[in-house]
Amino acid sequence: MSMVLPVVVVVAYLALLTFVAIRARAALEFEEFSLAKRALPLALVFGSLAATLVGPVYTIGFVGRGFKSGFLFLVIGLAYLAQNILVGFFVAPRLRSLENCHTLGDAIEQKYDRKCQIVAGIISVGLCVGFSAVMAKAGGDVLNKVLHLPNWSSVAIIVGITALYTTFGGLRASVITDAFQFTAFATLLPVTLILALIFHLNGGAAAFTAQATTATVNGFKETPVIEIIGLLVAFFLGETLIPPYANRALASKSTHISRNGFILAGIFSIIWFLVMISLGITARIMPDIPMDTDGNRVLLSLFRTVMPTSGYALLLVVLVSVIMSSLDSLLNAGAVAFTQDIVKPFIRLPNGTALNIGRTATIVIAITAAICALAVQDIINGLLTCYAIWSTTVLPALILGLWIKHPRPLAGILSMGAGAAVSVALWILFVFDLGWEVDVCLPRVIIPGLASSLIAYFLGHSFGSIKHGA
Amino acid sequence: MEILILLLVVIGALAAIASGIWVAIALGNALSNDDKKKVPTGGKHS
Repeated sequence: MSMVLPVVVVVAYLALLTFVAIRARAALEFEEFSLAKRALPLALVFGSLAATLVGPVYTIGFVGRGFKSGFLFLVIGLAYLAQNILVGFFVAPRLRSLENCHTLGDAIEQKYDRKCQIVAGIISVGLCVGFSAVMAKAGGDVLNKVLHLPNWSSVAIIVGITALYTTFGGLRASVITDAFQFTAFATLLPVTLILALIFHLNGGAAAFTAQATTATVNGFKETPVIEIIGLLVAFFLGETLIPPYANRALASKSTHISRNGFILAGIFSIIWFLVMISLGITARIMPDIPMDTDGNRVLLSLFRTVMPTSGYALLLVVLVSVIMSSLDSLLNAGAVAFTQDIVKPFIRLPNGTALNIGRTATIVIAITAAICALAVQDIINGLLTCYAIWSTTVLPALILGLWIKHPRPLAGILSMGAGAAVSVALWILFVFDLGWEVDVCLPRVIIPGLASSLIAYFLGHSFGSIKHGA
Repeated sequence: MEILILLLVVIGALAAIASGIWVAIALGNALSNDDKKKVPTGGKHS
């Protein structure tokens, strides 16, 4: 197959994306860089949230899962829907209602104290670097397939373009480009599914249902209960209010928009899982796609079958947009957390200086992520590692702090410290010492980590004093 | 039953496409509002 068309399409897409990013204007002050002046309308909050949450795992990964295990992952995906709806109803509006709040660290500072903010900031920045490295690795892999460049230069192109518009435009550029990228993948992949169902569904609805039933029954039979529990826990807690999502909650025009953005993004996620899994099931009916096809290659094979001439190029556009829309959000969230939660507590920053630090931090995080991307072995394992750390450290203190009257600073710091210590220790033991698979040890890390975080919280709440001045 | 499952899948795909179009329209509005802000509004310093 000629590689000219895919190269032309991908380069044209990246040029168009850069044009859209330039139209989004450079941020002129830190408030604009970090929160887009708190003026985002519902459609943009929803589009940006949905674009950020749909990454390579929820696209390529889910098509492969649908191919192998039918609707099993749709059931697991319900945990993700539940998480987003609960956040939408109970957390996002409370977060948005806080005044002068740029980050989760700011929220934690308002509820606990400055020490807790710095700890939350360090964890937030570390997590954004980790997630960014995973996305950079995925983006590098995609670009490598088209341009056949050395691995480091593919990673550099993806990270470089993303960092460029995020550095100058901040959150607004990230949201605007997310909306553009969301439009690209949210239309292209469902159109592919409809075309496949209309023109390639040999045997009609009966064949689709038969394949779905066979794959789903096999999926439930072959997946151990502990793995299903681990995935449900990871989907329910792992990504809950990670910094880029929290930034969008904070940047919404109102508490209503913040709430509805999360609820709509949750509903979209389950629709997206249905579409991806259905693509996987449809692939089972295609005679050209053998049953032993690697899960990560099913989407590519399907594109080639359904759209033989331009399929590969379109798929690359979809994948580049899926990856870059997550990466830009992570870079911006990490830079804002660094400026607001790690630097500002120590130094009084004028607006211009804060903006420059935020921009510099974006570049430094992008370079660090690009270097780390070369060391990432497996995308899914990398993501699951980040989930385990996040859900046991900042998340419990944040949610309890938003709901409990007069939260104690000691509770916040003990909770984050205990959660981090237990989850990191168990992770090292299971993954590095015992050599277990990441998805198998995930519930064995998250559940004790979360329990220790909550116990430490209530101990700190019982013995700690109320924040000075509260 | 078989038709219903397939119908659900097609409705899901159409809903995803509709949400993409909705966000595209909002994006267009946001960018055109930006353009309006950039246009000088008159006055003695413009």
